[in-house]
Amino acid sequence: MSDSTGTAADDRLEVGAERPPRPYVESPIIMATVRIVAPFVFSLGAFVMFHGADSAGGGFQGGVIVGTVVLLIAIAFGIGPTREWISSSLLTLLVVFGVLLFAGIGLTALVFGGAFLQYEVIPVYEATKYGIELVEVGIGIIVSGTVVGLFFALAAGYRDPDGTEGER
Amino acid sequence: MTPVEAVLLVFVLATAVATAVLRDVLAVIIAFAAYSLGIAVVWLLLRAPDVGLTEAAVGAGVTTLLFLLTIAKTVRPPSDELFVDVNLPALGVSGLLVAALATTLTALPEIGSSSTPVATSRVTNYYLDNAYAETGVENAVTAVLAGYRGFDTLGEAVVVFAALIGLLVVLDREVLA
Repeated sequence: MSDSTGTAADDRLEVGAERPPRPYVESPIIMATVRIVAPFVFSLGAFVMFHGADSAGGGFQGGVIVGTVVLLIAIAFGIGPTREWISSSLLTLLVVFGVLLFAGIGLTALVFGGAFLQYEVIPVYEATKYGIELVEVGIGIIVSGTVVGLFFALAAGYRDPDGTEGER
Repeated sequence: MTPVEAVLLVFVLATAVATAVLRDVLAVIIAFAAYSLGIAVVWLLLRAPDVGLTEAAVGAGVTTLLFLLTIAKTVRPPSDELFVDVNLPALGVSGLLVAALATTLTALPEIGSSSTPVATSRVTNYYLDNAYAETGVENAVTAVLAGYRGFDTLGEAVVVFAALIGLLVVLDREVLA
């Protein structure tokens, strides 16, 4: 990832007249900052997601913030290694799991004789409250997986017709 | 209008115009992120923290990163000019549109007015009165989104899912990473 041909300073997001610009430059400042900031951002995202029922926020906002943590790590430590760290199948499983979780809660209400997503028929303590919380978590999983997936898919780029990947 | 609102209005307008007229794409992306941040604060001032959080996280955060990633993978034409050449007919059409929309401004109620159709609507007051008792959730926005309007929200979640699938189709890829 960090091939050090050419000076590192002048080719970041630079006008690519002769050679294509490299999106990743190893910077100790960025790496140290992300190392410190990432746990706090992740905590904030989890708080916004799980506490969305009682304060501002919810699954969508929290999911975006959690997804941003992976984007931060990818920018600091290189997109390629991060992409290998979080495998494609894990991302796909997460997003599909989120959709199935949301739809599954709706179908569970049907099983107990209610309408689709009618939480209160599910025989659980405070079913509506916890149903809403679980739905928010499902949304959070979908959104965080999608944000990370969009980032990695854009970074990987268009697959050329001759089979070579636009890998970088 | 308080001084904070006035400063915010100038900031949002300035960044919006900068987004439109700056020539360098990197500068445009930065101006657009600043604009999103300003709008997020506007939502906060309008007492809509849920929307403000979304605007800050998606508009100022993720979208900026995706744009940066995109221009890092494309070639930008070198230029010494700071601003784009303004297309006068397009500017005229935009000005007319803004003028037409501005005529509706006088019809809008005061910010925070208690006599707006939304504030006096039976549906709004039903939600505000019964959301906690019926759902056990303190944030009425969440109660409406995931409780009363859960089916709509399921549709939105599936739209987000479909956006990811759509990008894979556009990029002609079968795996995300």
